[in-house]
Formats: sequence, C-alpha cells, structure tokens
Amino acid sequence: MASISIRNLTKRYGNFTVIPDLNLEIADHEFVVFVGPSGCGKSTLLRIIAGLEPISGGDLYIGDKRVNGVQAAHRDIAMVFQDYALYPHMRVYDNMSFALELRGTPKAEIDARVKRAAALLHIEPYLDRKPKELSGGQRQRVAMGRAIVRNPKAFLFDEPLSNLDAKLRGQVRAEIKALSQQLKTTMVFVTHDQIEAMTMADRIVVLQSGTIQQYDTPETVYERPANQFVAGFIGSPAMNFFAVEWHDDCAILSQGGTAVPVDGEIASSLRRAGNALLGIRPEHFTVATNAADGIAIEVKLVEPLGSDTLIHFDLAGVSAIARIDPSLRPKVGDRLALRPQSSKTHLFDATNGQVLR
Amino acid sequence: MNDAANTERWIHRLNTVQLVLAGIIIMAPTVWMVLSSFKPSFEVTAYPPTLVFTPTLENYAELTRTTPFLSYALNSLIVTVGSTALGLLFGIPAAFAVSWTRITWPAILTLAARMAPGTLFLLPWYVMFRQIGMIGSYTALILSHAVITLPIVIWVLLPSFDVIPRSVFEAAQVDGCSFTRILWRIAMPLVASGVAVSAILAFVFSWNYFLFALVLSNGDTKTLIAAAFNFIGEGSTQWGALMAAATLIALPPLVLAALVQRWLVSGLTLGAVKG
Repeated sequence: MASISIRNLTKRYGNFTVIPDLNLEIADHEFVVFVGPSGCGKSTLLRIIAGLEPISGGDLYIGDKRVNGVQAAHRDIAMVFQDYALYPHMRVYDNMSFALELRGTPKAEIDARVKRAAALLHIEPYLDRKPKELSGGQRQRVAMGRAIVRNPKAFLFDEPLSNLDAKLRGQVRAEIKALSQQLKTTMVFVTHDQIEAMTMADRIVVLQSGTIQQYDTPETVYERPANQFVAGFIGSPAMNFFAVEWHDDCAILSQGGTAVPVDGEIASSLRRAGNALLGIRPEHFTVATNAADGIAIEVKLVEPLGSDTLIHFDLAGVSAIARIDPSLRPKVGDRLALRPQSSKTHLFDATNGQVLR
Repeated sequence: MNDAANTERWIHRLNTVQLVLAGIIIMAPTVWMVLSSFKPSFEVTAYPPTLVFTPTLENYAELTRTTPFLSYALNSLIVTVGSTALGLLFGIPAAFAVSWTRITWPAILTLAARMAPGTLFLLPWYVMFRQIGMIGSYTALILSHAVITLPIVIWVLLPSFDVIPRSVFEAAQVDGCSFTRILWRIAMPLVASGVAVSAILAFVFSWNYFLFALVLSNGDTKTLIAAAFNFIGEGSTQWGALMAAATLIALPPLVLAALVQRWLVSGLTLGAVKG
C-alpha cells in the first residue's frame, strides 16, 4: 500500500512534448481514475508510474521512495493491460503464480494466494486452462487475479474494460469497484469512458494535452467543472453551450436575443464579463407547461431511452440536446417551451473557457 | 454460368500442368542422381540413360572403400552442428533485441553479410586464420559458417518475436522479470516453432555450404561437400561413387526440410490478447 506522488513531471518523445509539467498526489488506498480523450497522455502517465516509460523530467515517488530510475520489475506495482497480456503458453494458475514464483515465495503460500484470488474472482474452474480457452470476460478476471495475488503497493489499470461488450463491462466495472473496497489498495485506472470514471473513482483526473484540467471527486467534477473542456467531457450527453450576454439587466442569448433565466451568482459573473458561454446539461432542462415560462424550441430528433427521452433541437445557432420525461412522448416537429434550471447552469469565459464564478 | 465454370476448370488444369512441369524440372536431376547411385558404374554415364537396370550398392561400397567418407560426414556434422548452435546462441537474443528495441540496422548488417559473396570474406579470413594457426581447425570452420547461420536465425525469428504483443513482455516486466528472463521464460516458449525452423534451415544451409570448407579445412577436417568436389578428378572421375556421395550428402537436408513443414504452423500466441 502506498501513495503516489508526481512532481513537475515532463515527458517528451524527441521534440514532441506529451506531458509538459504535471503535479499529482494520489493518497494511499485511493481509487483515482485518469480520464480524457485519445492522445491526452493518460496512458503515458500510467506507463510512467508502472516504469514502462522513462521520465524526461521531474520526480515520481511511490510511497516514500523516489522511483525515477527504478525498473518496472522493482517497483512492486501490478498492472492490468487493455489486451489482458496473459502469457499464452501458461495455464491460468501459472499466469497468476508467475510473479510470486519470481520472488521466491514458498510454494504453499503461492498455492494459497492463487486459490484465494481465484475464489474472489470466480475463476477456480479455469485454473488449468490456457488463456486461449477462455472468454474475454474470463481473461479479464485472470488478468486481475494475476495482479491481486501479488498484494502490490498499487494497482494500475490501462483501459481494462474497453474490449468487453457493454453488459460485461458494466458487470466487471462493479466488480472492480467492489474489489477496490475489499483490497484497500491504491488504484489508478485509465479510461476514456467518463461513465467508468464517474462510477468507480474516489477522485477523477481529467486530462487534456498532458495537463490536468481538474482533479476532484466525481460529484464535484460533474457539478462544478473547472472549465469548458471538463464540462463538455464529463456528462453524457455532453453539456450544451450557448453564447450569452448581459443586456438590460438580463441574460440573453447572443444570437436571437432570447432571455435566459440565471441565478444570482451567474448573473453577477455575466454582468462583470459582459459576454460568456452558458453551459446547460441536457438533464437540467424542464419542459414548461406555459409557453411564456420557457424558451421556445422545435424538436428535430427524438431518442427514447426508456427511462428518459432525449430531444435534439436548434437554439441560438447551436445544436442542443435536452433530457426530458418520457411520458411527454415528444414527436419531431413538436414545439416545446424548455426552461433551464437556473441554479444548475454554468458560466465559462468566452475566450479561455475557464469557469466564471 | 457455364462459361465461368469452364474457364475455372481450364485454369485449374493449367495450374496442374504448370505444377507437374515445375516438379519434373526440379526433381529430375535429383531422381537421376539417386537412380544413378544404384546403377552399375558402366551404366551411370550411358547415353541415352537407362531406365531399367538391376540396382546395386557397388557405388556405395566403392565410396566407403576408397574414401574416408564417414570421417568427412563426421566433420560435416561437427561444423554444421557447431555453427548452428553458435547461430542460435547469438541469433536468438539478437533477434529478440532487434524486435524489442526496433533498432534494425544490426539485423540488416547480418543480412548484408549473408548476401555478400563468400569470396569477400575468404581471403581476409584465410590470412587471419593462418596467422593465428587455425587453418584446418574445426573452430575456424564453425566460426566461418556462423556467417551463414546467424543471419538465418535472426531473420527467421524476427517476425516470430514481432507478432508477440508487446504488452505480454511489459506484463512480464511488471511481474518482476529481467530482460534475460523475459527472453527465456516468456518469449522462447512462444517462438519455439520459429527456433526449430531457424535451426533446421541454418543446419541445411551450413551443411550445403562448401566454399569456406574448401579453403579453410585440411585433410582431417574436410567436410563432405568439399570432399565430394575432390571426387571429380581429371579424366578419372568415378561417377557412380560421386552419385552415391551426392545422394548421401543430400539426405540429411532433405529429411530436415521435410520436418520443417511440421513446425510452420503454431497457434501459441492465440488467446494472448483480446478476442
């Protein structure tokens, strides 16, 4: 068990800088998820922690030990790879016992630990099989088992669910979360899927172009995004953004001039800024019964999800989405009055995207 | 529909004819050689060649009576096994290192050495080995034949190492393996079929290579193929014995070449990764 501390870390490939200057503290026992779009540097950062990529500058500590030059073999961390990376020529049992055998662990202890991990992951019937005789989900469990038996300082997961089908992904996601609560070990999980990030993390690191955009709890990242990038990345469907300005003591859409209800904090920020971007999540629209109480829109597309219905519409030159009550049964071409929940809107600087509070 | 079926049938027939013709062209000298080795000596050079004859082992008896054939065979075996072992010893880690680091110039260098004419090396080697008193030694022959075996091992194994997902090696690193242990415990079992193929090919090429042995060996270390060259005398060539020698020389490579086919397909890496 150990904390992970990254200080002024830089990573370059030739002249190309992947991570310019990154600082991050991961507490002992914490489950931290790195999330961001492809190429944001999240996997590189994980591989640096694992010791599979050298550091160009800065320091990396696992526990109290500076591990900059320490090989992966000596960092005492375990990693679950995106493609599972099981040893194809070894049985499941041998895959799981291999690392312990390398460390000279007594045979009886190896056996006990492998069987305990296999029981935890429900893979006891497969211990004598080769990886090619297992399904994707079973291989995924073996890969986790291989990590668990070692009792390492930290677990690293590199997009381990991306090769599973949607149903299995949800199941394994819940299992990893449960495991993290049982094992009480530091875990770092990389994903591009913001639902995985939200559901599993104690804290989320949102990355873009090798820089941390926000590092906070899932609730905070969702409710108080630090900037437009985070606001747009976390939440599905993504947040809608409308250009707004302060006019005659009221917030109006820059295109069309329709008044938008905003709360006091947003109003004072917009008054100071003059113009900005207003962020409204699809789930924070309500359908007004009285047309005068909302913004008039025309439904362009309807996506019924069962529990909710998504409607697409154009507003102020922006293609937007609202999540509404399915019992309203909207149809394409319907005219509705949508009212944003003013306390749940967000305001961002129109030039640099930083949140305005 | 009928036209298409007819065309396909004709293409199939043409393919068969081509294959049969190619087979005859390739196999005819070998068949002639093997048959001649069992003919009485006066029939070997008869023209037109006789197809019906009484088989005899007199050429083989003549060969073993007049030449130290078994000694030459032992020399060939020592040099071939030695150079194959040397090729494997250095070629396996070299191929793994090239695959791992993606630095390909060492592999290209060995290939260039293999593609260069043997005479390019022969003169400097002759001078060098003579200076250090190694002309005629097995060591000189084994070292020189490593120029044949090393590139074969590297280039046969490179694609075998390349297809192993990198994450498998990285998982081994994280599990606590050193570079050598990754090679020995993880990579080697996965490329076992490639190692077998490269060993057999290296053996065959080294066995058949005669130029270095012709110059660097002496009477005690002469290999079969170099010795066979000496059977062709001026005006007194014993064609029957020569055919018997050629048949015996060709036998080990032919047997090994047949074995290679059994190793070519391996599904070991299946299941290592997704799907």
